[in-house]
Amino acid sequence: MSDPDTESYSTSPAWSDVTPLPTNPGGPNPLAAIAYAPAYEEAMSYLRALMAANEHSTRALELTEDVIEQNPAHYTVWLYRASVLFGIDADLRAELEWVSDVARAHQKNYQIWNHRMMIVEKLGSPEGEREFVEEMFALDGKNYHVWSYRQWLVRRFGLWGERERGFVEGMVERDVRNNSAWNYRWFLVNGRESEGVPGVKDEGVKREEVEYAASAVAKAPQNPSPWNYLRGVVRASGGGLGELKGLASEYADLTRPGGVRSSHALDLLADILADEDKNKAGEALDALASTYDPIRKNYWEYRKGLLGLPAASVA
Amino acid sequence: MSPKADDALDNLLMEKAKIVELSDSEEGGPPFPGSHLKRDVHPLPPWLTSPALNLFPEEYATASSDAFKKVRNECLPHLLGEDNQNLPLNKYGLPHLRREQHINFLHSTLGNLPAPYVALDAARPWLFYWGFSGLTVLGEDVMQYRQRLIETVRPMQNLQGGYGGGHGQFSHCAASYACVLSLAMVNGLEEVNRNTMWHWLGKIKQPNGGFRMAENAEMDIRGAYCAFIMITVLNLPLELPPSSPARHAGLKTFDDGLGEYIRSLQTYEGGIGATPGDEAHGAYAFLAMGCLSMIDAPNKIIPKYIDTSALLRWMACQQTQPEGGYAGRTNKLVDSCYSQWIGGTWALLQAAFGAGEQESSENVWNKQALVRYLLTCAQQPGKKGGMRDKPSAKPDGYHTTYALAGLSAAMNHYHYDTEAPTRSESGRLTSGFNWSGKSPTPEKMEKLGVEESDLVGYVHPVYVMPFKVVENFSTKFEKGGFGKE
Repeated sequence: MSDPDTESYSTSPAWSDVTPLPTNPGGPNPLAAIAYAPAYEEAMSYLRALMAANEHSTRALELTEDVIEQNPAHYTVWLYRASVLFGIDADLRAELEWVSDVARAHQKNYQIWNHRMMIVEKLGSPEGEREFVEEMFALDGKNYHVWSYRQWLVRRFGLWGERERGFVEGMVERDVRNNSAWNYRWFLVNGRESEGVPGVKDEGVKREEVEYAASAVAKAPQNPSPWNYLRGVVRASGGGLGELKGLASEYADLTRPGGVRSSHALDLLADILADEDKNKAGEALDALASTYDPIRKNYWEYRKGLLGLPAASVA
Repeated sequence: MSPKADDALDNLLMEKAKIVELSDSEEGGPPFPGSHLKRDVHPLPPWLTSPALNLFPEEYATASSDAFKKVRNECLPHLLGEDNQNLPLNKYGLPHLRREQHINFLHSTLGNLPAPYVALDAARPWLFYWGFSGLTVLGEDVMQYRQRLIETVRPMQNLQGGYGGGHGQFSHCAASYACVLSLAMVNGLEEVNRNTMWHWLGKIKQPNGGFRMAENAEMDIRGAYCAFIMITVLNLPLELPPSSPARHAGLKTFDDGLGEYIRSLQTYEGGIGATPGDEAHGAYAFLAMGCLSMIDAPNKIIPKYIDTSALLRWMACQQTQPEGGYAGRTNKLVDSCYSQWIGGTWALLQAAFGAGEQESSENVWNKQALVRYLLTCAQQPGKKGGMRDKPSAKPDGYHTTYALAGLSAAMNHYHYDTEAPTRSESGRLTSGFNWSGKSPTPEKMEKLGVEESDLVGYVHPVYVMPFKVVENFSTKFEKGGFGKE
């Protein structure tokens, strides 16, 4: 109802033909029983009645809106609303606008994005969607559901062009530590291998990605995101981590004081040295355990053990 | 926080560290007066002393690094023992586990809730599960809730099978999972209609091997984990019902195509995402590994679909410096719930390494740091009790239960018996039942900084509930099929 204070379902002529189905509370003393506001309790009892009759109508749409505004995490109402929308051939553009408002007010909500996906699928057009997604990223650049939705948009509508690349570079530019953006870049670069579009297996693509990540490392060497990306690129290309030795050594020089500017570089260097010189790899792992990343001492010593080296004596 | 204030903090920390060094080297000398005495007896671990706290000062600030600083500043006083929030300390200088207060808090989450809790109206079964699971880890008997739970969930079960989040709500994987496990914890599984549950699960199994959370709802790894919990707890046939849409795609069993689906979730970082392409995230690592561990022995099935050393590296990297708890994703913030999602995944990963290495990799992660984070930062001080994400957050049932489960992962040791059978006579998948737990030795307790009274019970690494309950349902419904239900 647009104004629940002045009107209720039970007194409205538009609802007089519906017999509400009250909640079965589950015995005399239910667990975690919520003291529902009367407006919610009443709306739910009418909703149950409409759902039992599987009614697809404008008033059903209004009722779901009323319930969602009171409890946007109510997955059942979202699913029912979708079936009503499609059943009465509702204006899906108007629906998207309404859903956008709900999304702005409830950023962490799960259900909205599946609902939006169904609507956009039915519309058959991604028009305005990327703009809306970007608005959501301005509020939280790491919103998991929104990133997942963006991937779906790209896959569904083939939006693999320059616009996406520019968008994600802008996101990394804004926060080079936004790992969600890095993950998305990976998706853009490598997400079409099953369609025969080579990702980092292509030498040119690989070079570009390594250069891009290296320039991000230069901005903030202790940022794990580009280091993880670099490892991923080299592995997926079929190459060996040794290809990154120059870069890793640049940020993890154990031979001079202050030469280690990133524990992630040292970690990578240890992996590279493992194939070249086990004792040197052991030294890098010891440095991580004792100095550069002592919280993961056990892990670095485990890695030493994998190389057949004994753990360092306890300092 | 301004850079100036940060500098001041860093200077302060260096001072503290000096005191530690000094007092360590002057053992036997006259005792330092005042609060420094405590630190004198309990030196701070290396990651909380000045060199580690001042490594790699980042000059290039972004939204993420600002957020790290904020959290570090709210946690450090508790981690360093400067602000113990008036909590009584154990003999290692860490706050005691607030058992009574947490028990009271969890009971309160099962009681009557005011109107704003309407936001949880579709998630009430979670409250039952969190409440029961958390209480049992603390040694509480939840059988007192048996009748009330049975009556509460009865109207949530739908005629077409499965449970919704409340009366009249569509059947949903999460709600079904939470209702079934809660019923299991009060020995009430007879309430579940196994036949209709089997049919409903058939409807959410997808042609690509995965599961939706409900009919027409989103598909991600949560669905698969929940489904296999129900299949194994209730001993449902592994064959898909004839009506399952996945049959049209040539799938015959609930696990068909699932391993390949899970493989597609591992990202270039080594962790696991919710759906193919998604960012690696701690909760989905647990769900994927737990799901595989119900289908076959971890040492057989996990290496088949998961690059275990890449996952190990990713998991190790999620433990945050200096807080010591886990973050859920790279460059995200520490949050006590990941103590379970990542802390609890270690046992599964170690079992994947096979009989020998299962033990040798036991100490690959920093249990001591996790225990310190949970006891110093995640416990709500004051009368209320309960556990929270981080000091600036409020406690709730979700964080209380998963923080306690994380404590259990750090304190206890879990062992998978690689010799045990993985199928019963009725064809039931039994690999999830082959686990045992071991309490910490006095040496381990000392290392973790906990006393007997701070210990929590075993949490089953796959089912995240007491072993005793798992043992009970592991032989229930052993005939399989549906008889005269």
